[in-house]
Order: sequence, then C-alpha cells, then structure tokens
Amino acid sequence: MKGIRLQLSLLGLCLLLACAALAQKAPALPIRFGSVVPADFFGMPTATDTAASVAEYLCDYGTTKIVGGSAQFQAVFERTTRLRIHRKAGYRYATVKVPLYTSNGRYERFSNLKGYTYNLQDGRISQAKLNSEDLYREQLDKDHIQVSFTMPDVREGSILEFTYTITSDFIFNLQDWQFEHSIPVRWSEYRVTLPQFYAYKTIIRGHLPFAVKEELTVPYSTMVSASTGAYATPQQERISALALQLRWAMKDVPAFRAEPFLTTPHDYMRSVHFELAGTNFSGRNYEDLTGKWPTLWKMLEEDNEFGKALSSPAPLAAEAAALRLKYPEQKARAAAVLALVQSAAQYNNHAALFASQPLRRTVERRLGNAADINLLLVQTLRAAGLPATPLLLSTRSHGQMQTLVPAISQFNYVAAHILLPDNTDLLLDATEPELPAGMLPERCLNGQALLADAAGRWLTIRPAARHTELRTARLRLTEHGSLEGSLKLEYAGYAGLAARRQIRQGSSSDYLAGLQRQWPDWDASKPHLLLPDSIQHPVAVELALHMPSSTTQASQLYLALLSSLGTIPYTFRPEVRSYPVNLGMPHEYVSLVTLTLPKGTTVQEMPASLSLMLPEGSGRFQYSVSQPTPETVQMMARMQLNKAEYSPAEYAALRELHQRAAAKCAEMLVLSRK
Amino acid sequence: MVFYLKHTCHAALLALGLLAGSHALAGGPPPKYPVADIPGSLRENAHAVVRLSDETLLVKSAGRTIETVRRAITILDEAGAHHAQELVYYDQLSSVSYLRGSAYAADGRLLRTLKASEIGDISLSDGFSLASDGRGRVADLRQPVYPYTVEFEYEVNSTNTLFYSTWQPQAQEQLSVEQATFRVLTPTELPLRYQERDLPAGTAAARTSVSAALQRYEWQVRNLAAVEQEPDGPPVGETTPVVFTAPTQFEVQGHVGTFTTWQALGLWNYQLNAGRDELPPAVQEKIRALVQGETDERARIRKVYEWLQANTRYISVQLGIGGWQTYPATSVAATGYGDCKALTNYCQALLKTAGITGYSALVRANKEDIRTEFPSQQFNHVVLCVPLQKSAKPDTVWLECTNQTNPFGYMSSFTGNRHALLVTPQGGRMVRTPQYTAADNRRERLADVYLDAQGSATATIRTRRSGLEQDDYEGMAGSRNLADQKKALAEHLPLANFSISKLSYTQDRRAAVPVITETLGLTLPGWASVSGRRAFVTPNLLSRWHALPATVGERRTPIWLENAFSYADTVRIHVPAGFKPENLPAPVQLSTAFGTYSSQVQAQADGTLLYVRRLLMPRTRFPRTEYPAYQDFRRRISAADKAQIVLLKTDA
Repeated sequence: MKGIRLQLSLLGLCLLLACAALAQKAPALPIRFGSVVPADFFGMPTATDTAASVAEYLCDYGTTKIVGGSAQFQAVFERTTRLRIHRKAGYRYATVKVPLYTSNGRYERFSNLKGYTYNLQDGRISQAKLNSEDLYREQLDKDHIQVSFTMPDVREGSILEFTYTITSDFIFNLQDWQFEHSIPVRWSEYRVTLPQFYAYKTIIRGHLPFAVKEELTVPYSTMVSASTGAYATPQQERISALALQLRWAMKDVPAFRAEPFLTTPHDYMRSVHFELAGTNFSGRNYEDLTGKWPTLWKMLEEDNEFGKALSSPAPLAAEAAALRLKYPEQKARAAAVLALVQSAAQYNNHAALFASQPLRRTVERRLGNAADINLLLVQTLRAAGLPATPLLLSTRSHGQMQTLVPAISQFNYVAAHILLPDNTDLLLDATEPELPAGMLPERCLNGQALLADAAGRWLTIRPAARHTELRTARLRLTEHGSLEGSLKLEYAGYAGLAARRQIRQGSSSDYLAGLQRQWPDWDASKPHLLLPDSIQHPVAVELALHMPSSTTQASQLYLALLSSLGTIPYTFRPEVRSYPVNLGMPHEYVSLVTLTLPKGTTVQEMPASLSLMLPEGSGRFQYSVSQPTPETVQMMARMQLNKAEYSPAEYAALRELHQRAAAKCAEMLVLSRK
Repeated sequence: MVFYLKHTCHAALLALGLLAGSHALAGGPPPKYPVADIPGSLRENAHAVVRLSDETLLVKSAGRTIETVRRAITILDEAGAHHAQELVYYDQLSSVSYLRGSAYAADGRLLRTLKASEIGDISLSDGFSLASDGRGRVADLRQPVYPYTVEFEYEVNSTNTLFYSTWQPQAQEQLSVEQATFRVLTPTELPLRYQERDLPAGTAAARTSVSAALQRYEWQVRNLAAVEQEPDGPPVGETTPVVFTAPTQFEVQGHVGTFTTWQALGLWNYQLNAGRDELPPAVQEKIRALVQGETDERARIRKVYEWLQANTRYISVQLGIGGWQTYPATSVAATGYGDCKALTNYCQALLKTAGITGYSALVRANKEDIRTEFPSQQFNHVVLCVPLQKSAKPDTVWLECTNQTNPFGYMSSFTGNRHALLVTPQGGRMVRTPQYTAADNRRERLADVYLDAQGSATATIRTRRSGLEQDDYEGMAGSRNLADQKKALAEHLPLANFSISKLSYTQDRRAAVPVITETLGLTLPGWASVSGRRAFVTPNLLSRWHALPATVGERRTPIWLENAFSYADTVRIHVPAGFKPENLPAPVQLSTAFGTYSSQVQAQADGTLLYVRRLLMPRTRFPRTEYPAYQDFRRRISAADKAQIVLLKTDA
C-alpha cells in the first residue's frame, strides 16, 4: 500500500455516541447561495497570465443528511458550488452532468436546481438566471439516468453559482465527494450527518492534506411516517436522537494532472466514500450489516448473483466429473477445468463482482461478465472436487483497496482461488483464453484480494511472471558498408501474454506489420511468427534486417546498434513526479547483438562497459561490448526493473537510470576500413 | 439488503424475464451458413465474412420509410468479433420494430437465439452534447470458439425521410462479402434517386415495376475479397462499392421539400429556418453601438464576429427536427449558447442589424467532401458566408460561429478546401470554401544549438506555423496555461532526452491565414554522442521524416495526402572549442512529382555549422501507380534526414 494513503474509520457505535459530549454549535457555512460580491471577481487572471488555469472552483460545498421518510429513511444530498471561468477553454465547467440511479421502483431524485451566472461590467454585477426548465434528462440504460444543465451567459471572467438536491432512497452508499479536480479548488467541504442508529464505514482516497477533518456529536431529529395497514392513515412520528457530524475540508487544492504509469487517477485524487456498516434502532442491539466480514460473507453467500449462483446445479458438472477422473493430481485438474471454462464462455469486457445471469445461462449464451465467468469457474472447479473459493478484488482501473475492514463497494471483480494440498495458493481467471493456471490478467495486479469464504483471508497478489523482452540480433557488415542479418524478438511472461492478446485481437499479419514499422532506421522484412501452444514458452518473431550503407566511401564507420534497435523502451520525460510509478509487475529488457566484420575492417573504438544499479537492487542496467574474435563484436544491454511500483522519492533515480542507459546505447562503435 | 448492495457494485442487471424453453428440437433445424462453404479467396486477409446481407428500403410515402435488414456474418477470429455485436440506431423520428439474432457453429448448427431480455437499449449520448435523442438497441452474440456465424434481423420505421439508406456492404477493412443485396421499393410517383460508386462491372441497378403503383430497384454484389487500409491512402469506405440513395420528395414533421436539385434543397433549408432571426431590442442596440462609425465593411464584420465569440459558446442540443432547424436567435440572446445552426443564425441576425447580409452555408466538416453531383442531405455542419458588397473585386468572409477562439475569416482543416451549399432566399447555391495551399500552410523553423564538449546542448528554437500547419497548435497557444503547454509539447517532441527551459506562443491573426510563433528553449543532455575523440550529431533537430513501411503486393488505392505544405528548417550548430568537423553529410537535392526536398550542411566562417532543409509538397492526390516512386521519395528523405555530422577533437 505504499504511495497511497487510504484511511478508514469504522464509525463508533451508537452506545458510544450517546456518551459523547454534544458539540456546542455547528461550524459556519462556507458559502451562502446568492451572495456573490464584487470582491469575488478580484484577482481574475489577465489575458497574458500563463500560469492561470482555465477555470477555478471558488467554493464547492456538499452536505448529506439522513432523514426519515415514508416507510424508509432517505439520504438528502445538497451541493452548492461557485466557480469562476478564466478562459474560453474553461467553458465546459459551465455544463454539469449528474448521474442518477434507479432500481425496482426506488429512485434518486434531482430537485431544487437554482443557478445564476454573474458578470462584472463597469464595476456592477449583472446576473443571468438559469432557467430550471432547461434541464435535460436522459435514460442512459435501464437503471441509470443522467440529468444535465448548462449555465447561461457564460463569458471569460464569469462567476457561476448553482445548487441542487439529490434525494435518494438508497442509503447503503451515500454520495461520494471529490475534493480534487482537474482545475484548482479554493475551498471544498463535505459535511455528513449520520444518526446514531446508522453506522457507516468511510473510505478516504488521495494524498493531499485536509484543512479540516472533524467529528462532532450533534442532536438529531426527524419525522418518519409508518402506515399500519393499506387503508390506515400513516402515523407521523418524531424521532429524536444523536448524530455524528463528519466534516472534511480542503483549501487551495492545485489542479490534478494525470501522469503515465498510474493505476487510476482516482487512487490519487482526494475523495471520500461511504458504505453502511450496521444499524442499531433499539439502542441496545447493533445489527452488523457489512461492518464485519462474517455478516458481509453471509450476505454474499445468500445473494442470488453470488453465493446462490454457486450453489445452483452446475451446468458443466458432467465435464467436471470427467476431468476429476482423468486428472487425479489437483493442479493438473485445475488447469484442465480452467481450459474448459475458458472455451465455454467469452468475456464481454465488463469487470463485475456479481453475476448478470444464472450460471447455466452463461454457458448457454457462451458470453458473460467477469463474475459470470469466474463464478462459473469456481463452481466447475468445485464440481471437479477442488476446494475453490471466489477471490474478490478491485481492478487497477477501479483503484486500490484498504484492507482494515472490508467494504463491498471497493470490489469490482472476482477471480478464483484454490488452496493446494501443499498449502500454496493457486489463482485462476477464465476471462482470457490463454491465461494459464496461477496467472491473473494485468488488470488484477492491484495489491490485495480477499477470499470469499467464512474466514475471509486477505492475500497479496504477487505477479506470477515478469514482463520480459529479449532481442537477439545477428548482423553482418558487408564490404559495401551495409548491414544485413536477422533479429529474433522474444516475449515472455506478461509481455508474452500481451503479444498473444494483440495477435488474437488483431491478426498475426497485423501484428507483424506493426513490428516491422517499429524500427524506422531498418528495413525489416520476412517476418516469421513462432507461437508456441503454451504461454509458458515465449512468443517469438524472427525478422530479416537490412540497413543500407550511408557512407560508401568513408574509411570509418560509426554504428550505434543497440540504440537503433530500440533497446530502452521508454524514458521518463517529466523531471518531477508526484505519484508512484506503477508498472504492475517487474520488467526486464535484454538486447544481444553479434556483429561480424568483413575482411579488412577493424575495430577502432569500442564503448566502455557499464553497470548501473538503483538503491537496494530495485533496478539495474548492464552494458558490455567485447571482441571475442578479431571479426566479431558482441554487445549486450540489459535493463531490469525489479519492482512493480516505484515511489515518487525513487523517481529521480529511475529516470536517471533510463537516461544514462539510453545515452550509453547511443554510443558509437567506430570501425575502420582499409 | 442485497438489493442495496447493487447500487454501486452491481448496476446493469436484473430482469431476466422470459425464460423460454429449450430451442434444441429433436433433429434440429437444417444447418445454416456452414463455414466450409466460404470460398478460400474470401477468407484471405479477412477477420469476418458477410455471408448474406439483404437490405430493403420500403418507401411508404414521402414521410415514412421502413428499412428491413437481414445480415449473416461469419466471424473468423477475435479481431472480427465486433461484427457479432449489433447496434441499431433510433431517435425521436424513428423506431426499431424488432431486433433478432442467432448464432451458428462452424458446421451450421444453431447455437442459440437471442432472447428479448438480452436486447439492450442504450443512450448514444455523444458525451459533448448537452442533450441528444440518439439511442440504440444493442445485441451481443460473441462466442468463445472461432469461427462462428451470427445472423441479425431488424426493422427500422422512420418518419425522417431526409435520409434514405446508403448501401455499403463492405464498409470496413478486412471484411469480405459473399453476397449482398439491396432493394428499394417505392411508389411510382416517388421515383428513387441514386448514385453508384465503385460497383463491380455489371452490377447496375435492376429496375422493375412491381405494379403500376410500385417500382422496385435492386443491386447485388457477390464475392468481394477483403481489402486493407493502405498508408497515405483514402479511407476504406471511400474505395468499396456503395449506392447512395435519396428521396425526390420528403416530409419531416410536416415540413415538405424536394431534393432533386441543390437549389431545391437549399430552399427547403431556407424556409425551415426563415423568420428565426429576430433579435431583442437590447442586443440590436448593442450591435448598432458596436459598429457605429466603422465604415470599412470587413472591419464591421470582424467587430460583430468578435462580439459573438466573446458572448456566446457552443452547446450541442440535437433533438428531433432540432437536428436541422435552428433555435430562434432570441434563445441564443437569452442564454448565450447554441449549436452550430443556432450560433450561425444568431451571427447572421447580428450582421443584419449591422447592415450586412450573410448566408448560412452547409458543409460536411472534418470528413471527405460532399458528392456535388448528387443533391442530397450530406451535410453535418453549417458556417456563415458573407460576400462583401463594397469590395472592388469579389471577396467573401467565411465565419465559423461555433468556435470562440477561431481566427476571423479562417476555415481551418475542419471546413476549408471543400464545397458548401449557400442557403439563400432563392434556394441553394454550390460554392467553394477557401483553399489553403502550400504557400499558406508553412512551417519555418530557426534553431541555434550550443553544443558542449561533453555532448550536451542547449537550443533556442523559433517555429512559425501558418494556415493548416497551425491548426493543431491553436488550442494549445490560445487557452492552455504554461504547465499544460509544456506537458503537451513534451509528448510530441521527437527527442529522447530533453527538458524545456522556455516556451511561449504568440498568435498573429491579421493576415488571411493565421500565424502562430512558438519560441522554445531546450536543454539536451547527451544530444551528441561522444565516443573517444569523436562526437556525432544529427543536425536535423526536430524535423526527421521516416520512410513508409514496406508494401506487400501491388498498391490498390491512390495516394491521398492530408494537405499541401511547405517546410523550411535552419539549424545553426555552435561547435564547442576543441572540436572541428571531420565529416559533413553530402548535400541532397530531390525534385519529384510529389515535391521537392533539399538538405545541406555548410561550415561557416565563424566556425558554426549551418544545416538547411527545405521540403515543399504542393499537391495531395496521386494515382495508385505512382506509389513506388512516392515510397522511394520518402525513403530518400528519411535517409537524408538521419545523416550525421562527425566532429573530431583537435589536439589542443
């Protein structure tokens, strides 16, 4: 969990709350809608200010309160936002899109939209009112609606202010709050009022500091109405209790800029998320809902789209029974079951924790999401007599996890696990046709995963392989000064997996054509692909190489072979880095060149050998040139990145290692011709 | 409680609906589309094969059409798998009567038939529109084992007869076609208008009378081998068989028109949008005050245009007839935003207040030009065209009203170099938008590189780009802050190791084509490779061109280049003390039908080395047979561009 700071607090139970002292008074509001004054326009960037952002949030303020309703509690979210537009390119911040969820007659309702655009002209503020009828509502799919509005009369220098409310029937997850954006934020604040009978887990992402982070106990009161029968008048009742008021604020937050080699920007932008942990309506009986693993597990176990799906009759039971007889050894049997499920259904590229259909339907359709396919895998492994368990995880693009207390919203994917007789873990995933047992796709290489069984053990996902590329060139210098020979490219581990995927999803001819274009200095021809059946062996490509002579007459030839073969795959261009470099798995690149010289050509100068190492051996570059016989020169360059993730503190060294390696590979071999 | 869980984790599920019984009848239906029947020539270079495509357009009346499609495609490998997913578009003016699908194994055995519950309904919101009514019915029949065949059938009922079908059975590369048929049935009083392109010899339309009242047109193609997109060639869709069709008469939401001539099409557009140009008195007052005292016609237009740019912005709203009819000018005046029609109409109204007449001009932006010989609705954008009345010689100002930073009068690669249909009270008139030639599209670069004895360098580079060459830099120069500019530029610089010490952009919009000048400072660690007594330098600092990939087989398509341009690079290399040039690259001079190229390095009296490179490409279209010569031209440029200077340490 290096480099990312996730915090978690399981909110205190109500009994504790009741003992806590009540806060004196609520903190002042950070913004009052409609109170824009000329001072808000001060400091507007000039047209020539090159440091100015395109727009800026002056204040973004949100509250969530849980209130009583008819027959159920509701979460009421209010947002009031004031922002300034500095440049025309910032006009897009004047359009707001709000996603809403609906399901089975329960809704998130959007209401109370108000908005004004303020412009300062000749020292006077003019205002344009947002016509609340200009609200567009779009049904994205069955369960998702999007409402959109855009502010009127927006110009460079406008201040926009809007406020709206979302009333939600869903109290399992409250509205998230994002403090950090791609434009600067002067003040962002979120307050959440949670009555003592609801306990929530809060999950905080990101790494910049909060200006305010506090918990207060405040009095709480709400009306609920409950009807006792179909024709009875609903009974109104006031509930008075205590509540926990949580408050976070950030001040002067700079614009977030994404960097390459990040899992997902959301791991690094400050945000807060909620999931219901438990309830205690009587004041005596805390009912744990998801706050502890056993209750969460019980719920998953009984879910039709998770545990119940697994316990339904296995559609591949007959095949599984046959494999059980055929493969007495567990590991071999697991591999055979994996191959069976891989060919039984196609992955539709939707990461999911829950099945979208009964498992027999997945077999029938031969198509499904990650849960459809991997729960089918777990079920079939079990039918083959293997102790398989679903493995809950979060994909890299979904973000990293905290492990202190499980929160179901953190997971978005399920893979499979078997504990082998020798007590080792075997991880499996059937969403990719060529993935071997023991290897998970790159998207799953994201730290921790949780076994979905009664014990609920966390395990660390260690990449089962490196990303390895090996290039072997055999070149001959002709008497005319041109270079001819062959190049063999080998891709192993995750590099092999990626190459196979590329070949599968394009075609071998597209793949080879792409490789041929990779060396602008060379004419690469006659590509030949060697694709072994098993991913345990590297994917190999052989190419014929030719580089015409550039200086036919010269008595000296200068060659930078390793550099022209593209030995160092990337250089880290930015000078500084705020976030870790996450490569997913260790990487290794090796290039070997053997050059044969014609008669009469001798080596005049050879670059010196070099070995560079990062602290604690986390990375290494080796380079050597030798002349085993008078007619041959051998060159070797090897870059090893032994960690899956490098912290910002390690970045400078990582960058320098690459730059020095690239410079070394560009050094010339000087040959002299008679 | 389980239900709540799905709020975030578990979105698009539920409703498993109709659990129909098994379809596997005893004996089963006869096999369909067995893969073994595909001729070998159609499998070559193909990811998928259209086995059968049957499209029928039934014209019910001037205001209603029914399109019926049945299509079977064999998916040979994963790269063809997207053909197993179908999306049928509909909106406020059309509906999907049905969408059905089945999958067949390689041997033709029915694998399964889609259930109604498996057909999705999604919004096709484009992400940038505030509102759009485009939606799709979607189906997914992807299978884990290749090859397999999918068959889709659907029917779309449309009351938008502005558009008839375009039949293009082979719209994509690496897709072959076994058999495809297109049929149009239309009442005799509504004859079909059509245009054929690239049809195989002997595939002309068969026209028959079904009855006195009903005409039938039919086309069929067979055995089209898969084709590939070629480098510097036209898009595949521009080279494969296609039949465009259009109505003679149409009616959309009560608006009737004819399409037989550009004049008529323009007239319909004019009438649809007429009378929507009324402005509130306050706005009229502002505009009158703005242009008061300005006598020069062009200056008046510029003032109005700049006011429009400062006070409005582009917001796309595409709903029903609103896709063709503008919002009234009063609406833009009230909200300050609109789409291309609304902003063009607004600008036209503003100019009218200033006493200047402009016409909206329909164009097909950012794509291939329209087919001028086939009057039909082929447009996707509208700009404003203002012919100058008081000018001595004929002159026209073109205004792009949706872009708040676009230079006055400049059409860019988005709408320049193409045809436009002027919408006038007398009807449509075909004109040309401004042409941007090699003389307009220039890139002139002056660099000074100071090399040190260790091989590191610093450079100051001034690059002046004009016309279409500056288009990609317009957004960067105009609206990004310095940190974002540096980040964006760093991603494009063709250098391995550098840092940007200085960067600024200045824009000059006084001339007919805009100019952006970039001033760049770089530090270049290890720019020269130093080995022993020698240092190696590639004087072509930023303008290297690579050769084209080797071709396999004969070139199929002509050469289509993006635009004409001219480049000039001058790099002065300041050699460190203690070094002198040992070897300078020989000068290169290439003069071909495609363009001219020259590069040379000269040692100057002051000890510096001067590299000068020129590349002029005045034309953009060449026949297929010229491709080998073009490849050779590119190869020779590439070789010249990587030439190196060798510097030798003097024994001082």
